[in-house]
Amino acid sequence: MSHPDDALQGADATASAPAVRLSSITKRYGPVTACADVDLELIAGEIHGVLGENGAGKSTLMKILIGLVQPDDGTITIAGSDTVIHDPQTAADLGVGMVHQHLSLVESLTVWENVLLGDHRRFDRRAARDQVAATAEHYGLDIDPDAHVSDLSAGLRQRVELIKCLRRDPRILILDEPTSVLTPAESEQLFATLRDVVAREQRAVALVSHKLAEVLHATDTVTIMRQGRVVEQARTVGTTASSLARAMVGRDVSLRTSAAALGATDELTNAPVAVTRSFDDRPEVLRIDSACLVRGGVTVLHDLSIRVRAGEIVGVAGVEGNGQRELGDVMSSLVTLDDGTVTVGGTAVRTGRAGAMARAGVAVIPEDRHDSGCVLTMSVADNLLLDRIDSVARGGLISRAEQRRVATDLMREFDVQGAGPDSLFGSLSGGNQQRVVLAREMSSSPKVLVAAQPTRGLDVGAIEYMSSRLRAAAESGIAVLLISTELEEILDLSDRIVVLSRGRVMGELLRSEATSERLGLLLGGIAAEPNPTGGSHGSS
Amino acid sequence: MIASAVGAVGDILGAEAMYNSAIRFAIVLAFAAIGEWVAERSGTLNISLEAMMIGGAYTSAVTFSATGNVPISLVAGMVAGLVVSLVQAHLSHQLAIDQFVVGLTLNIFVLGLALFLDSRWEAVTQVVQPTRIPGLVDVPLVGEALFGQPWPMYLVVPLVPLAWWLMFRTRWGLELRSVGDSPQEADVSGIHVNRRRRQAIMFAGLTSGLGGGVLVLGQVSIAGYESGHVGLKGIIAIAAVIFGGWTLRGTILGCLLFGYFFALQQTLPVLGYRMNAQLAATLPYLVALFFTAVFATRTRQPRALAQPFVRGLA
Amino acid sequence: MARPDRAALRRAAVLIGLYILSVTVALVLSAMLIAITGGPWRGVLNALLDGAIRKPGRWGDTLAEATPLLIVALGAIVSARAGLVNIGQEGQLAVGAAAATYVATHNSGAIAVVGALLAGFVGGAIWAGIAALLKYWRKVPEVITTLLLVFIASQGTGYLLTRTFLLLDDDPNKPNRVQTSAQLDTSTRIGYIRIFGNEFPWSVVAALALALAVSVVLHRTTWGFRLTVLGRNARTAQRIGVPVVIAGATALALSGAFAGLAGAVMLTAGTANYRFTPGFANNVGWEGLLVALVARNRPLACIPIAIIFGALRTGSGFLAATGVERSIVDVVRSLLVLALLVPPAVAMMRSRRVAPPPAAAAHNEPVVAVVTA
Repeated sequence: MSHPDDALQGADATASAPAVRLSSITKRYGPVTACADVDLELIAGEIHGVLGENGAGKSTLMKILIGLVQPDDGTITIAGSDTVIHDPQTAADLGVGMVHQHLSLVESLTVWENVLLGDHRRFDRRAARDQVAATAEHYGLDIDPDAHVSDLSAGLRQRVELIKCLRRDPRILILDEPTSVLTPAESEQLFATLRDVVAREQRAVALVSHKLAEVLHATDTVTIMRQGRVVEQARTVGTTASSLARAMVGRDVSLRTSAAALGATDELTNAPVAVTRSFDDRPEVLRIDSACLVRGGVTVLHDLSIRVRAGEIVGVAGVEGNGQRELGDVMSSLVTLDDGTVTVGGTAVRTGRAGAMARAGVAVIPEDRHDSGCVLTMSVADNLLLDRIDSVARGGLISRAEQRRVATDLMREFDVQGAGPDSLFGSLSGGNQQRVVLAREMSSSPKVLVAAQPTRGLDVGAIEYMSSRLRAAAESGIAVLLISTELEEILDLSDRIVVLSRGRVMGELLRSEATSERLGLLLGGIAAEPNPTGGSHGSS
Repeated sequence: MIASAVGAVGDILGAEAMYNSAIRFAIVLAFAAIGEWVAERSGTLNISLEAMMIGGAYTSAVTFSATGNVPISLVAGMVAGLVVSLVQAHLSHQLAIDQFVVGLTLNIFVLGLALFLDSRWEAVTQVVQPTRIPGLVDVPLVGEALFGQPWPMYLVVPLVPLAWWLMFRTRWGLELRSVGDSPQEADVSGIHVNRRRRQAIMFAGLTSGLGGGVLVLGQVSIAGYESGHVGLKGIIAIAAVIFGGWTLRGTILGCLLFGYFFALQQTLPVLGYRMNAQLAATLPYLVALFFTAVFATRTRQPRALAQPFVRGLA
Repeated sequence: MARPDRAALRRAAVLIGLYILSVTVALVLSAMLIAITGGPWRGVLNALLDGAIRKPGRWGDTLAEATPLLIVALGAIVSARAGLVNIGQEGQLAVGAAAATYVATHNSGAIAVVGALLAGFVGGAIWAGIAALLKYWRKVPEVITTLLLVFIASQGTGYLLTRTFLLLDDDPNKPNRVQTSAQLDTSTRIGYIRIFGNEFPWSVVAALALALAVSVVLHRTTWGFRLTVLGRNARTAQRIGVPVVIAGATALALSGAFAGLAGAVMLTAGTANYRFTPGFANNVGWEGLLVALVARNRPLACIPIAIIFGALRTGSGFLAATGVERSIVDVVRSLLVLALLVPPAVAMMRSRRVAPPPAAAAHNEPVVAVVTA
């Protein structure tokens, strides 16, 4: 593969000066170097993919460009002059706009109010509304300016975000993992819009992603980052999935076995599935029957029924915001169902009652561990024994020595590194935090394991570790419910796939029946043709 | 028994003085409550509202003592409220000290400071004479209450639409609402979350300082500064915001309701009803507690209310 | 953990420097305030020192004054641990004291002392329990309800002193016909310890033991552990089986109970002449709460701070001779509180600017910080 600079030479010579040039950008967080001497040029009229594993430094780099993080070293040159970007406002003034993966729309405001947020032009409601409508129409992004964002799906929210960016006429547009909230059809539409933006309006676009498939598919140039450094820059047309994968991970990887971690969808859906195992003879350990949940007048879970048998991995697929979070909350005893039942090992469990699910044998790796899986300001040992502190106490008095001993054992078994049992949980890296949660949940000898977005934010190695743990859990007879928005992960691990859309089960497929097309339709909310569920199909 | 009870209710509802007094209490509460509404919509449950009112009341009183000039005294009250709010705003939204800790300490500090200064420089005030609007003031029952108040009371009339306009028709208001609901999102959108929150607290400082000033210069029964006069009215104003479900309309309604019971407590003995003074004094507070409790769950509070914002932390 | 490195030492030095600076500023401001209002600041300082420790028998009084402050502070820590903001101790203390008065004036002997303390405990618990009920049933913030209940308690207990069948002293010879309860019988008073010409009630020793007990319960027991989880991450607590409502309500009631107990101790230990009067609480509830805030919710750290605050109280009794109003002490105290709150906050902001936690650095997800009072 070509040297980082070679491939760009040709393009540079013909194109105008880069819209933005990052030179020798370095950012350290204590001992961790998030970005080390990074150079990056974004050129007008080009979609530039920034590819890397989670934690490779691409997000930090983009946050520097948008002014959310200040670099320790290096310069940013925009339109030929060196600049310092203090905050997102400065970035906006310089023509840098970003579509964030999460976190930028205010739910209680309307679409047009959100589009206006952070702007400082004259505040004219009617003109603003018209302008929002005009921008939306110009790019073919249909939206109601008066709708409340809280009522919109994740895909539409991203559309709002895109309009918000484009209305400010940015010279440089950054998209951070944009497809994570989109259905395949919506992703396709997004890329079409982007190509239009680039070709017709000569904007520079940076597409941040950890998915090989979409970088190959949608970008002109690609920069690959690993451990805070740029390891390769090339024209996308000259690359292949396997060359990108090697650069991204830093070793030869099998696209087949690591397809999920690498986001190589094609490899997964095209791969023949060896055997579909039958679980018909295994007991049904988890039964969710006709679960209904209404939140703030909106039905978020609608007559939802899922069964998981011992040893089986059932994947709940769906685009973000279609009831997955609520399903996870139900299984964590955080909400009470309005209707329906949850049965674990034959016994009905009261929903919403503190600790009831945990007592019934439901282990949960929560979607957002900071939200309901740990206490950041307590020690690692405390977090490992959160739900069974009694086991190291006598007469209500905690034995610190005993606690430390148990914790140390668990840390060794689950390979938690970089900290002792007394370290603050919040000081661990994301991967190690996830291992602590995993260690606690798995060591409670559960009957059911609910893993919600278990690999979000982890690097390839950590993803593979987590996947093997989930497989091992199923092998040992635990019923595993995998809730994930990453289709690759679902395809990789599941024996059976349940597709959620707007809180309903849109369809249920055996792994062997799952093709990109069928899943795509289901994810988009188009129900499957009547199909006997329960998984007694033969293999393909 | 029943007849006498009905008679009593009739007396109370028919007493013009009662409405007059109720409106005056309500207005004083409203000055503070409007500011608090703005602060809470931006995410601060600002309990130093009490301190801002006390500061405004004492400073207005002592300025009036010195100058005899009502507008200057009211402005002085606003400045005092602003000074308290600056301390609150910077300690809680720059140094990220817990906002309740700061608020509580400020309440105790300003109460003590006013008491101490009053022992040295005693304020003597005169109540501003009512401005009677001819014709309208003769409307039975509420004429006097609505159209015969000392002029500072009428400052609340432009303040209400002003606050509404600021909140819902300006960029500043849009940004305040966004930082009260979703500070992280507002931050990545390029809004200075803590700066907006500080400004909202300063707004509350100005209006509640003014409220304190109006209290000492507009309430008939007062001839100087006394520590008991504010007497947790700032806290009642906060209750009015919660009662009102974080809407301006509801907040004003809450002020009227609680003001009515302050008036009732004051007017009952005048009407010849005997009631233990101490029990009567608890009446507005009990009412505030009761109504706030009854209406609290029906409403939607700003999602980030009382949650500090530090970039990088959620 | 690793040995303190140079950076850690520098941070500690900066922190100590900030403390010295801010306390100095607070004291200088106080002195200036006295000076510009025409008072003798040196005289005030001497009077405070005389009243608090220097004159014979004063430090015993200071310890006696510090005791209810400490008990209130311990209660405040219990609720703060559960993530609740109880700021109505002044009212809970008054209700507790009133309940204790009823028991103590209707009974006699050692059993009456125990009964009075128990009544105080229960009275305070019930008063805070109202706020707990409103929080968990009607979702009214406890910050507001506990405050409103302060006013209702102070007026309400005042009412109790207007009826002889409740608390009003029925002795026709009572002083000036003022509202006051009967004085406690000598048999229903807490005994005194005499050391080096000072005397203080046994409750001083008991309160120190209580501080130790609270420290152990919060840091070493499973109950304290669960309460801590609740206070720092309520959803995680719910998930692992901490009953959020029951545990939270218990913590809030318990903090009120401590305040009520402090009221009962004030009554039976004679810091208020063994009588219940209107205004009996006399800011002890507020000041006790401030003790907890300054101690940053560490039970043992409350002990020295309660003693300093107690000294300010006894010292203020000697101010009359200087002609300076007692309320200057409120000003000095709250300035000191602010002065003690600022340095750790400044240090934290400084350290955040240097290095956010690695979890936040390496990943997109923000780290949740739990800022406890």
